[in-house]
Amino acid sequence: MKRLLENIKIAFQALFLNKLRSFLTMLGIIIGVGSVVAMFSIGAGAQQSVIQSVQSIGSNLIIITPGNPEEENYMGAQLAFGTQQAELTIDDLRAIEREATLITEVAPVIFSSSVASYLNKSTQSTVFASTENGREIYNMKIEKGNFYSKSDVSNALNVAVIGQTVIKNLFRKTDPIGKIIKLDGKNFKVIGTLESKGTDTLGNDQDDFISVPVTTAQNKLYGLNSYNMILAQSVSEKDIDAATEEIKSILRRHRNIRFGEKEDFIVQNQTQMLDVISIITGIFTVVIAGIASISLLVGGIGIMNIMLVSVTERTREIGIRKAIGAKNRDILIQFLVESTVLSVTGGIFGILFAVLISGILSRYTFLETSITVFPIIIAFSFSTVIGLFFGIYPAMRAARLNPIDALRYE
Amino acid sequence: MLENSSDNIIKTTDITKVYRIGTIKVNALRGINLEIRRGEFVAVMGPSGSGKSTLMNIIGCLDVPTSGKYYLNNMDISKLNDNQLANIRNKEVGFVFQTFNLLSRSNVYGNVELPMIYSTERIINKKKKILDAIESVGLTEWIRHRPSELSGGEKQRVAIARALVNQPSIILADEPTGNLDSVTGEEIMAIFQKLNSQGKTIILVTHELDIARHTHRIIYLRDGIIHGQEKVNNQVSAEEKLKQIPKLEDKITAN
Repeated sequence: MKRLLENIKIAFQALFLNKLRSFLTMLGIIIGVGSVVAMFSIGAGAQQSVIQSVQSIGSNLIIITPGNPEEENYMGAQLAFGTQQAELTIDDLRAIEREATLITEVAPVIFSSSVASYLNKSTQSTVFASTENGREIYNMKIEKGNFYSKSDVSNALNVAVIGQTVIKNLFRKTDPIGKIIKLDGKNFKVIGTLESKGTDTLGNDQDDFISVPVTTAQNKLYGLNSYNMILAQSVSEKDIDAATEEIKSILRRHRNIRFGEKEDFIVQNQTQMLDVISIITGIFTVVIAGIASISLLVGGIGIMNIMLVSVTERTREIGIRKAIGAKNRDILIQFLVESTVLSVTGGIFGILFAVLISGILSRYTFLETSITVFPIIIAFSFSTVIGLFFGIYPAMRAARLNPIDALRYE
Repeated sequence: MLENSSDNIIKTTDITKVYRIGTIKVNALRGINLEIRRGEFVAVMGPSGSGKSTLMNIIGCLDVPTSGKYYLNNMDISKLNDNQLANIRNKEVGFVFQTFNLLSRSNVYGNVELPMIYSTERIINKKKKILDAIESVGLTEWIRHRPSELSGGEKQRVAIARALVNQPSIILADEPTGNLDSVTGEEIMAIFQKLNSQGKTIILVTHELDIARHTHRIIYLRDGIIHGQEKVNNQVSAEEKLKQIPKLEDKITAN
């Protein structure tokens, strides 16, 4: 142990003696480790923000959309308004409400986009039309006023709840509660405002948002009998897959789809969406690992190169040590420690570099980063292994030197 | 084994050494029979190519003979492997080289400590032993200095302290005064004579007869064999000689 400390001291002395050379050698490892840790932090940050935004839609959420489950497995495509596929109607909604046992709430949704105006200002906003249940399922929080009630929905009243961006665009400092805005030319009374939800992973503003009763949207805005989505909330997170299957079978029966026939609707839940995300991040991780191994390989070769130079330069020192009683193993360990110190120091600098970079990125760009312990441990152990592996050959050359020749070396 | 349990610290019987340089065979040593008593101070002389260095490498356990036997402190050294040789060098041999061979990055203390770092046995009172060795060559004040801050004579004294620190059986000095001026060389010889008077066995390789005459016995090598031996009568005392040389400072003040 004491000898190891002594060796580490000798190694640092040797590295300090050639500061520039040591730094340039370490640069390969610094860049390798730094980029891996930084990329991982970006990846982890992205994953976290995706998960957050998926969860911000509402927990235990099940999404039912019309369409062929085998053709299109992503809900985004079904959001387009007025698709020609089979429609979801109030009958489907009632069937689920009546028969499903594993869900707490269910709400129809029409997602669309309309022009909203107040006095001389106007703005294009997302319209989310639903029932009173939609607020909880979609995880909307009221800032001021009220969300529309069950009777507002059944009477198809012209009331609206608006998000922060809409307030900013139409009202500036004026209190919007009780004011009349125009939505596609129709008058709506603002009865509530929503708390800010921020932007989602793709950078969409989730506050540029107006919610109205679904009946009002069907009758007065878009002239529709159907919904483009039904949202349901499962009893608990562990029941979400069972609830999804239950809804699927209710709708199959209700829509008279025979055994073996394809469904004309898609039922998805958050777990499935999170699975897709984890596949994407998995690919990302493999790509990073590839880049990392190449850059660490290059860094390792750099270390081997400089260690060979160092062994030649210090032939005489090796001769002295051997004459005085150092065994081959002592010399081997001395140079192995030196190459490992070189690469581990590089690794530590690389990690610091990555922390700096990801700090800058999350501060000055839209990217979110998250430094986690796992890539740091991996990077650290990899740089140790690299130092040992690429140090073995130079260290063996040093250890095998004949002391007589080494002492004579000029 | 009976013949070896004598007072001879070194005994060689018919040592030969053959080098191969490409296809050419070089007979560096052609049968050396040598005995050195415990506490003796011996000089080995000879022209270059006489086999001096080869013999010193074998005596210093840096190399093994091609044939013949070598006993150091009653141990047969002839057939040891690299690790065993390293151990013997560490324990039994103290080297002093012409070019000092100090580690430039370590200070005086660090250089003297070096043989202890590679010792396989646990050393008690390590620090005191190091300080004693440094004191015995008169460098206590320079303990934190690096070799680059020392004069040639001081460097050689560090090397002697390093050779002493593990209490070896023999001190092997290869042209120790070769890189020093005559006064400094005399000072180094004074240290060797003092160590010898304290009982150390010293083997000195030199090509200067003046230096060789500080020892008890001179062994002449030529063409790989012992050409002659001479007991030194009227051994030169370095202390006495140094007293006769007026100090440089005295000369300057006198002028």
